[in-house]
Amino acid sequence: MSQSLRPYLQAVRSSLTAALCLSNFASQTAERHNVPEVEARTSPEVLLTPLTIARNENERVLIEPSINSIRISIKIKQADEIEHILVHKFTRFLTQRAESFFILRRKPIKGYDISFLITNFHTEEMLKHKLVDFIIQFMEEVDKEISEMKLFLNARARFVAESFLTPFD
Amino acid sequence: MSIIREHTQTTLSDAWRTIDIDALDPDSAPNFDTSTLHPPQPEITEAEVRQLTTQVRQLLRGGDAEGALRGCLDMPVYNGSDGVKEMAMGLVVEVLQSIKASEMVPVLRGVGEGVGGGERVDVLMKYLYKGMAAASSSSGASSAPRTPTRVTPQQTGFSQMGPRPGASAESTGAAMSVLLSWHEKAVEVAGLGCIGRVMTDWRKV
Amino acid sequence: MLLLDYQNVLIQSVLTERFSGAPPVSIDQTVSDFDGVTFHISTPEAKTRIMVSLQIRCFQELLRYGAEDVLNREYGPYVVAPEPGYDFSIVVDLENLPADKEARDELVKKISLLKRNAMAGPFEQAYQEHYHLKAEAAKFTSEEAPQGVREGGAVKAIHYREEEAIYVKASHDRVTVIFSTIFREETDRVFGKVFIQEFVDARRRAIQNAPQVLFRNDPPLELQGVPGVKNTGTGEIGYVTFVLFPRHLTPQRMPDVISHIQTFRDYFHYHIKASKAYIHSRMRRRTADFLQVLRRARPDNEEKERKTASGRTFKVGS
Repeated sequence: MSQSLRPYLQAVRSSLTAALCLSNFASQTAERHNVPEVEARTSPEVLLTPLTIARNENERVLIEPSINSIRISIKIKQADEIEHILVHKFTRFLTQRAESFFILRRKPIKGYDISFLITNFHTEEMLKHKLVDFIIQFMEEVDKEISEMKLFLNARARFVAESFLTPFD
Repeated sequence: MSIIREHTQTTLSDAWRTIDIDALDPDSAPNFDTSTLHPPQPEITEAEVRQLTTQVRQLLRGGDAEGALRGCLDMPVYNGSDGVKEMAMGLVVEVLQSIKASEMVPVLRGVGEGVGGGERVDVLMKYLYKGMAAASSSSGASSAPRTPTRVTPQQTGFSQMGPRPGASAESTGAAMSVLLSWHEKAVEVAGLGCIGRVMTDWRKV
Repeated sequence: MLLLDYQNVLIQSVLTERFSGAPPVSIDQTVSDFDGVTFHISTPEAKTRIMVSLQIRCFQELLRYGAEDVLNREYGPYVVAPEPGYDFSIVVDLENLPADKEARDELVKKISLLKRNAMAGPFEQAYQEHYHLKAEAAKFTSEEAPQGVREGGAVKAIHYREEEAIYVKASHDRVTVIFSTIFREETDRVFGKVFIQEFVDARRRAIQNAPQVLFRNDPPLELQGVPGVKNTGTGEIGYVTFVLFPRHLTPQRMPDVISHIQTFRDYFHYHIKASKAYIHSRMRRRTADFLQVLRRARPDNEEKERKTASGRTFKVGS
């Protein structure tokens, strides 16, 4: 399992590093506006080819680059109902705190669980390689966290059930 | 007269407020014709890809993996029907899968040498991204609703947990890991630039 | 606190204090318990006469299934006419308490088990029915037993919460207790499923002698034709069945088994909530970690204190 995780994260890392090449770019449609072009989608010539990195059909990353912003969407592995619920809870928890995460998009793109939006203003005040580190670490930890929570839930359920049934024995 | 009538009819509803007038203006920024950014590419027909397929397979059988890869990357299908593009994609994946992990770097170095060598690695990168996008979009269509069908309650209790939904992912997972390791090697050989060129190149495979 | 107590701790502590010989005071306390049960502890007549009243939503049903016998047996000399607005009342005279401390503690314990005893009626009745049917069945082989014996007693439904109920059914070789429980949201449903699965498996894995536990989302066969049981088909309601076998049905074990099985629903939901709370706190901690990582991306631009070669310090603006 983890032997395919490493090239996956490596591919995400190199693609992100290549894509995080942003410059200030004022809107061409609205005067005195400066909006993330990847969201506004008003100037087709500044949108670049989106890149997909997939590990399997349940785990993938979509990177949508543009001249002044990139959007990164992550689909987190969900093997069963429990993981589905946990991923849903966790991503909702994070998006509700999007304000303090700066680069977190408040709503994920359709088909993905969580999205980030990095603009040139973010890359101007934050270190690019550290931003990439953050995304990679996020991907690693989320998987780990979800499976740990699932293990915890099962362990607790087992303990609770056995404690209740023991007095009958 | 007619103008006045039209005007009153449209103002009766508020729908006109949401009309994107930029879309109707041929000179507006959203209507920028991106085809002016690159010269037109020669169209590649199915017959040509078929011919290429036979040649490449011959090279593969002869043990010349490098030549096979070079062959398919020299003729990227930039302009062709979806079917033709799929065929070319399939051919590239076939070649990639037939090359052993230990031979990846020497083959890549070989492919990257000579006239148009850098171009070939860029084309390979395009195919790699396309391959990963294809696998996920085909499944993405089936699992488009966010609540997957597997969440339906099981009527007979749940001691039988049902087939793991990841089971179908096994095969795509194997194909993905081939693409992922090629991706890693390609970055190793050609640097991040080739990813940048995939993003910025308007010629898509 | 892993398992829930059977008695009401608040009543227990109030009465223990009163019974310990402290000067009598007037009391007027409303105490809540699980399943929407309300107690009222008061001294309406004199400071020495403590009245404990119980209000429970399914009291009429309980009376029908023999709750009165149980309550009269347990609280015989103390029972009084129910206080208005409540279903059952007892009065204890502080001047007339048992002499030795142990007996007093026993009385406190008994009163704090008021809810448990009120709910025990249908269960005790089912036990009796089971003994009766067992004796009947012993006269026949299993094939030729008459209809009534083979099928067992009628289902006793106790609608102890607004949308949830306990169903008890006795047969000659078992007593079946079915809890219908509702899962308000998707998370509860999934967590509940994980928990129940462990209940189902526990018997196979560790505790062979435990009652058999079954779970389904549609009403089990035993409940067919019972009024008020609807198959909503949404999976929102779960039915948890406990099958008590003869080894749980001995008269010696009856009080404990009844007390214990009553707490199931609250125990189950309590642990679902507790798991949710834990996972929430875990996510909070993890989020803080992520923020920490993101913060590292911001280059330090705080004012730094620097030293000159001579050792003087000065500030550098960012």
